[in-house]
Amino acid sequence: MQRQPTLLSSCSRAATAAETRYRIDAPGFTRRSSRVIALDPHAAEIVRRLEGQRWSGGHFLVFESALPGDALLRPAAGGTALLSAELQGADAVVMLASARASAEAASVIGEACAARSIMSAGLVVPGAGPVGEVVSALRPNAMVLVVLQDAGDIPEVLSALRV
Amino acid sequence: MLKQEINELLTQTGPGTPMGALFRQYWIPALLAEELPEDDCPPVRVKLLSERLIAFRDSEGRYGLMDEFCAHRGVSLWFGRNEESGLRCAYHGWKYDVTGQCVEIPSEPDERQSSLCAKIKLTSYPLIKIGEVLWTYMGDPKDTPDLPQWEFAQVPREQSYTSKRWQECNWLQALEGGIDSSHVSWLHSGGLKNDPLFKGARGNNYNLADRKPFFEVVESDGGLFIGVRRNAEEGHYYWRITPWVMPSFTMIPPRGDHPIHGHFWIPIDDENCWVFSYDYHPVRPLTEQERQAMEDGHGVHNEYVPGTYRPLQNKDNDYLMDREAQKRGDTYSGVRGISMQDASLQESMGPIVDRTKERLVSTDGGIIMARRKLWRAVEALRDEGVPPPGVDVAHQRVRSAAVVLPSDQSFVEGCGDALRVRPGEKHASV
Repeated sequence: MQRQPTLLSSCSRAATAAETRYRIDAPGFTRRSSRVIALDPHAAEIVRRLEGQRWSGGHFLVFESALPGDALLRPAAGGTALLSAELQGADAVVMLASARASAEAASVIGEACAARSIMSAGLVVPGAGPVGEVVSALRPNAMVLVVLQDAGDIPEVLSALRV
Repeated sequence: MLKQEINELLTQTGPGTPMGALFRQYWIPALLAEELPEDDCPPVRVKLLSERLIAFRDSEGRYGLMDEFCAHRGVSLWFGRNEESGLRCAYHGWKYDVTGQCVEIPSEPDERQSSLCAKIKLTSYPLIKIGEVLWTYMGDPKDTPDLPQWEFAQVPREQSYTSKRWQECNWLQALEGGIDSSHVSWLHSGGLKNDPLFKGARGNNYNLADRKPFFEVVESDGGLFIGVRRNAEEGHYYWRITPWVMPSFTMIPPRGDHPIHGHFWIPIDDENCWVFSYDYHPVRPLTEQERQAMEDGHGVHNEYVPGTYRPLQNKDNDYLMDREAQKRGDTYSGVRGISMQDASLQESMGPIVDRTKERLVSTDGGIIMARRKLWRAVEALRDEGVPPPGVDVAHQRVRSAAVVLPSDQSFVEGCGDALRVRPGEKHASV
């Protein structure tokens, strides 16, 4: 096998700390447009608290009811919104659910995300009882499902996803 | 994405740092037992958690791990003479036992020896052999935890094999590769077909057929279980479940009847780490072919620059990049071997990757939660003195699993005891 000599551009130089300062300092992506949707009253309380914090443009919403081919949502800041309208331009949806969440809510949102190729995640929050059923309901509807033991982790998980 | 201050919090492990304090709560792998093969053998320089140390095995077979430098004039004890139950500095003959206690200062009068020596003791840490690994605990002696009980180090010697390699990047980005199961279908796709320690398992077909896995992350007492599901037969999912036990132990889900493997990532300093890689089978000896494949650098192991623990493929030779093999599809990245495929990419990120600039996606759920758990544990230890998860030996009795389950079943329920060590019972694998 023919080998090339080690050049200035080789890994030994390219991977040094000194070379990191030459990395292009511009984000290789546009701002993510995220929706955080509470699926039940317990999660809704959390969403309302989160809404007051500083985020990167994420919308915080509460699932209200299913509609034919759509769903009614309540923005945490007030008013109403349609799921279909909220998903326009969205590229990530995080469903926040406690033990009280309905399978219908997870299914409606999950299917809408899948149909639009939107990244979906489910965060199961503690504090409202056994979560086995809601985990089962979310599983087919979220590309990643995280079962939390500490609700205090929610802001950090959302920050990590640039909500 | 992490804020810069949190990135620094999690990646800095030297003395006096919060993450360094966390690592100092655990028994961690320090060396392979083969590095100190006999009584009075040559001492070995070791750097762990940004501390320069010297390891030796004295005339009675006792292991010592202590400050590398003589208390007298700061000479490295690596040049010392390991003889008559102690390590003697080559400069003026000062001698230390395995606890770092000075036991002889030849230049001083005999009558002053004991009083002078009593006042001179190098910092030292316990060093014990469990399995084929020498473990140390670098924390406060009064908080010394129970000895580690990782299954790979407890099965009979003929059932286990452990190697180590130097990786030239921070420990955290190396660990994060170990809990990021989604890369396997891409980076290691060649290995699933060719590597003697991976190939042939039914589960590999699911891996290769479904490159868009779904993730499920469940917190455990010691860390996380990260379940990754791919489509299997109608109405079923193929689950691969990786346990991560804090701070840096992972176990890769098994494939068929191949041995189970995994890693410990141990900081050398903030820009280098040791990767201890193990393979073991819970119920049978490794076959000659398996052991030979491990020694030859297959599976999670690697070839070496002769006489060192530096990988033969390293950044100085561009990891022996083979573009023809990449083009043929023998390897996905052009780098040979699963461990070096990982290491080459993790080192390419730079010594400490800038996590303020990353854009995580859904498949990074395990990484996000691992960082969060580390962060939480660091703060609980620093602010309230709470011992972190993973110190309790009960947390260490975990196994990975690879199973096919009905699509409506959670992996936690479906696996049941398969995620726990069951001595004498085979691992759950397809």
